[in-house]
Amino acid sequence: MSKGQQNRNTDKGLTPPFTNEQWITLLSDSTNEKAVEELRRLLVRGLKPALYKYVDQELDQFVEDVAQDGILKILDNLESFRGESKFMTWAMKVAVSEGLTELRRKRWDNVSIEAFKGSGSDGESGEVRSNDFSTEELSPESSTAQKMAVAKIEQMIDELLTERQRTALKALLIEGLPSFMVAKQMNTNRNNLYKLLHDARKKLKNELEIQGIDPDEMLRQLSE
Amino acid sequence: MKLSINNVKKMLRVVQATRDVEINCEECYNKIEKFVDIELSGKSAEEAMPLVEEHLQRCSECREEYEVLLSAVSEFKDP
Repeated sequence: MSKGQQNRNTDKGLTPPFTNEQWITLLSDSTNEKAVEELRRLLVRGLKPALYKYVDQELDQFVEDVAQDGILKILDNLESFRGESKFMTWAMKVAVSEGLTELRRKRWDNVSIEAFKGSGSDGESGEVRSNDFSTEELSPESSTAQKMAVAKIEQMIDELLTERQRTALKALLIEGLPSFMVAKQMNTNRNNLYKLLHDARKKLKNELEIQGIDPDEMLRQLSE
Repeated sequence: MKLSINNVKKMLRVVQATRDVEINCEECYNKIEKFVDIELSGKSAEEAMPLVEEHLQRCSECREEYEVLLSAVSEFKDP
């Protein structure tokens, strides 16, 4: 046994790497600080190379904070580990989620409200601009066909989708805003937002089928 | 709603990829560790868990979480 391994021995005499069952046993004992320290060490080891490109400065401190927050959440949710993966993969998932949530919050905090204000279903950013339709290379027929295709899709969206679906569609697909932010602004959560958009996509897909419109053909037409 | 050609194309691609049955972000989150383990074992996670794979193609935030998790856990993979 190496010196490092000896130092990482737990009070129960177990030595890393632990099995899933050993992790649960060790972490269920709230007095087992060595197991928590081993978990922290592994989280930091994985998080640092995985998050370095997302963090501008003080990566070490950020990763330590994420590991600490992650550990609290992991310990609070130990019973939800179903054993369908390696324990460390599950634990790392919890920590990664903590880290990315914090990074996204920082990234979007300053722009969130203004960005969303501009993403209402009738906002300007998705509007047709005159140079969208190139008349230099297209035949008049092709140009007309493109305009009709765009008008058809606009009509479907206006007639089939609810105001809420249009707002979500525009914010997520056109403005490219993150779903956590759109969900917050729409007073819902990411899951309900996903369902709202899934229902909208299904409505549009069904309508295309009913009208006999082949999306591939329409895409080809719009790419001419 | 007024749309540019590029946004109509984006919309069509998304609609085209829509399935009757899809999993949401929470369901993806609950399965992603298994997906990552399968991938790191050298098997096809895409074949084993197609609904997760499809969700990752559609949802940029879940995709980002998956990529960071895969990178982090790869640190522990045996050489």
